[in-house]
Amino acid sequence: MSADRPHSLWSRAAQRFVRDRAGMVSAVVVLGYFLVALTVWLGLGGQDWGVLGSDSFAPVSAEHWFGTTRNGQDIFARTVYSTRTAFEIGLVVAVSSVVLGAVFGALSGFFAGSWLDEGILWLKGVLDAIPFFLFVVAVAYSLQGHPLAMHVAMIATFWTTTGRYVRGEVIKLKSMEFVEAARAVGVPQGAIIFRHILPNTSHILLVQGTLVFVTAIKAEVILSFLGLGVQDGVSWGLMISQSTNEVTAGFFNNFIAASLAMFVLVMAFNFFSDALQDALDPRKVSA
Amino acid sequence: MAGLGYLIRRLATGIPLILGVTFISFLLMVYFGPDLSFELVGKNPTAEQIAAARAQLGYDQPFWVRYAAYLHEMVTFDFGRSVSTGQPVRGLLADAVPVSLALTLPGFVLGNLLGIALALLAAWHRGRWLDRSIMAFSVIGMSISFLIIIIVFQLLFSSRYGLNFFPVRGWDMSSPGAYLYYVTVPTLAIVFVSLGYNTRFYRAVFVEEVGRDHVRTARAFGAGAGIILWKYVLKNSLIPIITRVMFSIPSIVIAGSLLIESYFGIPGAGKLTFDAVTTGDQPVLKAVVSLTALMFVVVLIINDLLYRAVDPRVALT
Amino acid sequence: MKLRLFLALSASFLLAMAAACSRPGVDSEVKRYRHSDDGVPTNIDPLQAATVYSNQIVVSVYDTLYRYKYLARPYVLVPNLAAGMPEISDDGLTYTITLKPGVRFIDDEAFPDGKGREVTAHDVVYSLKRHFDPARVSQGRWLWDRKIEGLNQWMDAGADYDAAVPGLLAVDDHTVRVRLVKPFPQFMNTLAQGFAAIVPHEAVTAYGEGLGTRAVGSGPWKLERYTREQVRLVRNPDFRKEPLDLAYEGYDAALHGHLGIAHLDGKPSPFVDELWIDFIQESAARWASFTSGREIQMSGLPVEQTDIVLASKDPVALKPEYAQRYHLDTGPEAGLVFTVFNMADPDIGNVPDPQRNAMNRALRCAMRDAFDWQQRNDRFYSGLGEVFPGVIPPLLAEFDATLSRDSVTHNPERARARLAEAGWTAENLPTLDYGLVASVLGREMAEEFRGYMAAVGIPPEKINIKSYATFGDYNRALRTSELPIMGYGWGLDYPDAENVLQLFYGPNAAPGSNAANYRNPAYDALYEQSSVMLPSAARSEIYRQMNQMLIDDCVGILSLSRRRIALWHRDVLGLPDRQILGGFWLRFVDVK
Repeated sequence: MSADRPHSLWSRAAQRFVRDRAGMVSAVVVLGYFLVALTVWLGLGGQDWGVLGSDSFAPVSAEHWFGTTRNGQDIFARTVYSTRTAFEIGLVVAVSSVVLGAVFGALSGFFAGSWLDEGILWLKGVLDAIPFFLFVVAVAYSLQGHPLAMHVAMIATFWTTTGRYVRGEVIKLKSMEFVEAARAVGVPQGAIIFRHILPNTSHILLVQGTLVFVTAIKAEVILSFLGLGVQDGVSWGLMISQSTNEVTAGFFNNFIAASLAMFVLVMAFNFFSDALQDALDPRKVSA
Repeated sequence: MAGLGYLIRRLATGIPLILGVTFISFLLMVYFGPDLSFELVGKNPTAEQIAAARAQLGYDQPFWVRYAAYLHEMVTFDFGRSVSTGQPVRGLLADAVPVSLALTLPGFVLGNLLGIALALLAAWHRGRWLDRSIMAFSVIGMSISFLIIIIVFQLLFSSRYGLNFFPVRGWDMSSPGAYLYYVTVPTLAIVFVSLGYNTRFYRAVFVEEVGRDHVRTARAFGAGAGIILWKYVLKNSLIPIITRVMFSIPSIVIAGSLLIESYFGIPGAGKLTFDAVTTGDQPVLKAVVSLTALMFVVVLIINDLLYRAVDPRVALT
Repeated sequence: MKLRLFLALSASFLLAMAAACSRPGVDSEVKRYRHSDDGVPTNIDPLQAATVYSNQIVVSVYDTLYRYKYLARPYVLVPNLAAGMPEISDDGLTYTITLKPGVRFIDDEAFPDGKGREVTAHDVVYSLKRHFDPARVSQGRWLWDRKIEGLNQWMDAGADYDAAVPGLLAVDDHTVRVRLVKPFPQFMNTLAQGFAAIVPHEAVTAYGEGLGTRAVGSGPWKLERYTREQVRLVRNPDFRKEPLDLAYEGYDAALHGHLGIAHLDGKPSPFVDELWIDFIQESAARWASFTSGREIQMSGLPVEQTDIVLASKDPVALKPEYAQRYHLDTGPEAGLVFTVFNMADPDIGNVPDPQRNAMNRALRCAMRDAFDWQQRNDRFYSGLGEVFPGVIPPLLAEFDATLSRDSVTHNPERARARLAEAGWTAENLPTLDYGLVASVLGREMAEEFRGYMAAVGIPPEKINIKSYATFGDYNRALRTSELPIMGYGWGLDYPDAENVLQLFYGPNAAPGSNAANYRNPAYDALYEQSSVMLPSAARSEIYRQMNQMLIDDCVGILSLSRRRIALWHRDVLGLPDRQILGGFWLRFVDVK
């Protein structure tokens, strides 16, 4: 019953995805980035991002592939280490906000029309009514000093979209046969929601996850520029904000390294996400 | 008559929303916000001086008293004076909001018009190379951070590394020439950053419409592209277009464009708000949050009404 | 439709180009000088004139009794609104100050019938009393706190402006008599600060808090427009016509001949009609505005431009293509930057247990030895700053050039030895927060600091970087002693080392300006002894002893004075000085 639908959906989607050339290329690129992040996690690369060197703003050389910063730090190491930062932010925010959106959306959809639904819809409305950056700035501010402040702010705002999609899907699903059947044999409500209905929204969650991932990485740049982003460590956002002072003096290394690294990852992720959507729902046009 | 009753009902449902927005914002920005007392007391303050500063800022009041005072200020729309500069908040907003509007509106309008045009083109040629390249460029555009765009555009248009035609910062609306002089680069940046998103969004809408039976029929009978796109596609897509435009309004008016304003030194509402958050200028924050919440509710209502005007099938419920 | 769109786009682009060519704001009839600053004046009420940015506007639109000479360095006090230097009683406690007659406030609606009235001694008394009004927040009160007879009692009694303060009296309309509780050699200097600007009570009654953004004074300028981005001042036509006496102001043809100001001698200031001050915080944007040639006419030199613009650093000289276009002035700043340790923090400061106390001192001294001032100077101040031991900066007369430079010499070996000797290891070292304001430079400096510590065996994870989104929040952290390691900067309020030595005076501990919470009875006794002394060799000797105590106790990593570099367009005639002490120069600027 419930396992049936997802299975065929996934295998058909996988077939379609493999045929999508842009999708495959972008998946490989994303995977490449992920491997870079993994090497940093495992302590195999980028660990020297903070070590002071003897030359400020050294040009590109064999020793420093992307040159150095004001402090003589190796920009290549910083770019590599930032990949880890990006994945950390992207994954934490994407997973948390998708989970949050799935739970709230499922509850809201399953109990559509009840006070619970009303409450969740109200919360969504409220969060949507506060301009995104104002909200993030405020949360980051009120939790300030906390290294996860930025993550919390993003999760709190990004779950609403997932929630809306899941709610719609759950409303559709809950009147379907397999749900009726489960109900008839006395499966408890919680189990119906989380074991029978929610798995059927996984394609939405996956796509939303990729979208949130990208949004989070991009938001980090702006938050770091505003001084509310990454607190300790290095990230593409910090590198770009560092470069705002440098580009006018003719030092473009930091700017180019960070923007390019970020641009390629974000673009690959966007294409990947598109391909994923196409594969999962060929009829739907990507929005 | 039904319309009026509907309007009242709708306004009433807006109240919990406004309360929620103000409560959350109050909690985050005002209650847990920055503390200004040390900014006001000079280099070697005594404990009494600090206490006096806190009292003057109202920090010594309990939470609910402060929130109630806020609601009262909101009803009377009198938020007093900015703590950091002493200017009346109303005056600050009256100065800043038109600037933000004038700054973001051209980019917003152009970004949407261009987005619609490109999306029509793509939808019409769906699946062909034109569609694919437009979509690919949209994704590329979407993948560049706004901050990078601003930096690059400033380098290109306003620095000795580029054309050096336009000012790096500042704002002047005293004459159309001055306005164009200052608004051009920000507008280009806004158009650039929004184009990808707009094109994708509108394309999705149009593709749906282009795929409908009556459009296909019309195409089969050889109706001109212009007529089909205008009469069937664009008109039937009005609702999503209006929704998208409407819901962007509060952020255009109030949040403005924080990055643009701070990078180009433009005294708009976005910068005003950000400065208020970071300096803990609570009266300004309270005003901005209230205004945004109110506007959001108003937009919700107007949007509903417009739905009805565009598509009579949507009942007023 | 596509064609039409294309046409519309090209039309608007052409329009924009036309706009770019017909640049606005070029008005040949009005003589205007456009100044720039790197920060925003939050409030221009003299009560709040705490920053360089506020102060320079306050002293431009209001009068102060005294000011500093335009060109003479070191800074020399001269009368401004006062008719002459004060009569000081032999015990140094009573100051009698006579005002220039016939000075008028600008016309303003705050006055009955809108006409500005004469500035009197009563206004001086009123303006100083205002700082002690408990209903008002004053950032300048600490300067005179418990120093003027009866003023604190007046405040405690409820601040009735009609009640006389025995130590602050208007003897007649043009004479003020101040009686101090104890000698206060820097008193005259405080009267040259924006805090001491003369405000008419009518304006306070009429505008109240509104004075944060408007001004009713008797200074050389009138405030025309106030926004967060720009302040516009226009010449006060009624400003007293005092001819500029260049010789008196310290003009030296050898030093100042290139400024092109000789022809101004004997003419009454101000010389330009309008003064626009743009507040541009981002150095890149400020520099671009400056070099565009159409906008601001004066700017500091951003660090990242140094190598592009300067031909040499010692002496500071411009490359020819820049020298053609810009004037240059340079000198040590009236201030200093340094890092202090929180001496009240048991992890790193003073503790009762003598053994741990010694370990903590060893740790502090090791961190000081590990810090490479020269590299900090090279990388963040273009190598132009001046590193010096202790806290008395080179600008001051009390600066001692013979002091041992041992405490500012990079010595990683000794740092390691100190740590080892005291028994510190990578494991038992405390984890210390290092605070920074979330700016690019703040972060780079923090990374640099951590790098230096790592190089002597203090692992990076033991230095926890704590970022504060705004300066205000960082300031609060300093005032509430949240941080064990603090970057700190100080701008001189007056040219006397007392102003920096008070930063370590026990009773000034947090929330006061002694953020290090340094409490040393011997130091405090010396401070109290010297604070009532007039400048003398004996006082300089006491200052030297106090300075040495700070070095010996490793209270901090002390210190560096940045180099001030001002650049201004060739058509601007004057000597820009944006410091608190130099805020008066704006009245003397001229443009070609």
